[in-house]
Amino acid sequence: MKSNRIKACYVLLGVLLLLLILMNMLIGSSSMTMGDALRILFSHDTASKYGKIIWDIRMPRILAAALLGGALSVSGFLLQTFFANPIAGPYILGISSGAKLVVACTMVFALTHGMMVHSVVMIIAAFAGSIAVTGVILLISDKVRSMSILIVCGVMVGYICSAVTEFLVTFADDSNIVNLHNWSMGSFSAVSWDNIRVITVVVVISVISAFMLSKPMSAFQMGEQYARSVGVDIKAFRISLITLSSILSATVTAFAGPISFVGIAVPHIIRSVTTTSKPIVMIPQCFLGGAVFCLFCDLLARNLFAPTEISISTMTAVFGAPVVIMMLIRRKAR
Amino acid sequence: MTSALRTENLDTGYDRRIVVAGVVIDIHRGEIVTLIGPNGAGKSTVLKTVAGQLAPLGGTVYINGQEASSYPAAEVSKFRAVMLTERMTSEQMTCSDVVSLGRYPYTGKLGILSDEDKRIVKESMDLVHVSELADRDYHAISDGQRQRVLLARAICQEPQLMILDEPTSYLDIRHKLEFLDLLKSLVTDRNIGVIMSLHELELAHMISDRVICIDAEGRVVMTGTPDEVFSDASISSLYEIDTGRITGLYSSFLKSVSK
Repeated sequence: MKSNRIKACYVLLGVLLLLLILMNMLIGSSSMTMGDALRILFSHDTASKYGKIIWDIRMPRILAAALLGGALSVSGFLLQTFFANPIAGPYILGISSGAKLVVACTMVFALTHGMMVHSVVMIIAAFAGSIAVTGVILLISDKVRSMSILIVCGVMVGYICSAVTEFLVTFADDSNIVNLHNWSMGSFSAVSWDNIRVITVVVVISVISAFMLSKPMSAFQMGEQYARSVGVDIKAFRISLITLSSILSATVTAFAGPISFVGIAVPHIIRSVTTTSKPIVMIPQCFLGGAVFCLFCDLLARNLFAPTEISISTMTAVFGAPVVIMMLIRRKAR
Repeated sequence: MTSALRTENLDTGYDRRIVVAGVVIDIHRGEIVTLIGPNGAGKSTVLKTVAGQLAPLGGTVYINGQEASSYPAAEVSKFRAVMLTERMTSEQMTCSDVVSLGRYPYTGKLGILSDEDKRIVKESMDLVHVSELADRDYHAISDGQRQRVLLARAICQEPQLMILDEPTSYLDIRHKLEFLDLLKSLVTDRNIGVIMSLHELELAHMISDRVICIDAEGRVVMTGTPDEVFSDASISSLYEIDTGRITGLYSSFLKSVSK
């Protein structure tokens, strides 16, 4: 009965993914027909007007939204497993904001010195920020037993990091502000094909590594002592979990800025639909779910008030935050 | 026959601070040994140490005749299953999900169950009468049912030794008896050695083959058969009850236990 639900969920996510990729390809400031798009895709036409739109603008953006959305949602699931709390996520714990701060520093520094920042450097900067904030959160979690207080602390740390980032952006060189400002609000628009290559490698390797940890993760869900009793090396396992989660959320922040609530809302929806929290099911489904969720939000972000584009984080908050609120109410009610 | 669990002069505690020193345990398969003593005496510390959760501060633990620390981490869980007082927080877990994890030491890299594993999971659930809960959410069942599900998980591991920390504490008297009854029959059928802690002396008396008493200072004050241990007046000194002030109720209880 349950395995049928899981299969149905795979099918549903697959269909939605294809549908949203297609819609993102066709719909925009200049809409095209299905026939145009298919012709361009299969003939590798990169020269015509539509060809340029598809290959240079929409395709990298679609791939970015799908890969980064998936990464974010898996990152959230890993954090939830780590803290044994379904409300944990990279955004709410301030980890994304930490990454944003270090990336902003790196960008301001590079831009004022007229240097280009390689995408790998961006990921490393974001990773440094993520790990730093994660360290702070872990220190706090050692002191406070209550998960809700930990979450509040995470939100506060996030605010501090955002405030410093705002400060930097305000005083950055005029010509760079627009660029930096867009990024710090969150957007999939500035991702290039070069970025996509790096993103693909990092995200695919990290998600597969996380998937390979499914077995110890399932024991860890039963509690730390139980996991130790069946032979899980708790220390090594915790480090791997935090590292993978940080790499994934850092990659997202490096290229698309901080994106809110995907890391909590998507795993929660998947858990509710499949009625399981087994990592071996959750990790692939969260990845697909995150991709679908971000493609959907990006489609709206681009088109809802066109030509004005809304930041992706605004859209994910509009759809993600209510899911999180519902979840909190349901948990309290039980 | 090799002992399922044996310790030599085991010192247990946290961060070099010894809580219970010089513990000598010897449990054969099919035997139930119970730790009793006041709160804070260190029963859980001893259990955590023989369960491999805490490193011994001195002495040695032997599982199935072999030094526990010499086993590869995953191997020892084929001999030893634990049921400690740990709350599980993960949501959306069915009871069969929980029981299936007992097969952990036997499954492959990704933990996928073979048909044989599934058969053993089902058999374990039948054995403790929780088959009808298979698809229920683990958090939506009663405390008594939950303890039975955890017992099924331990059975699934096909252990020779089971370690249980106060398995009956949240249960009402009927479920306490039911649980211990079940445990007793499993131990006999499957020839498993059990070490556990219990708060209820009368239950310890009923179920145990041997009882180990630890006093408030963390000293092992007595080890023996239940009749030996409970016939002695030392039970009231173990719990530091001033005999002059024992209420009528308590003295009649002590009489009922020691007869």
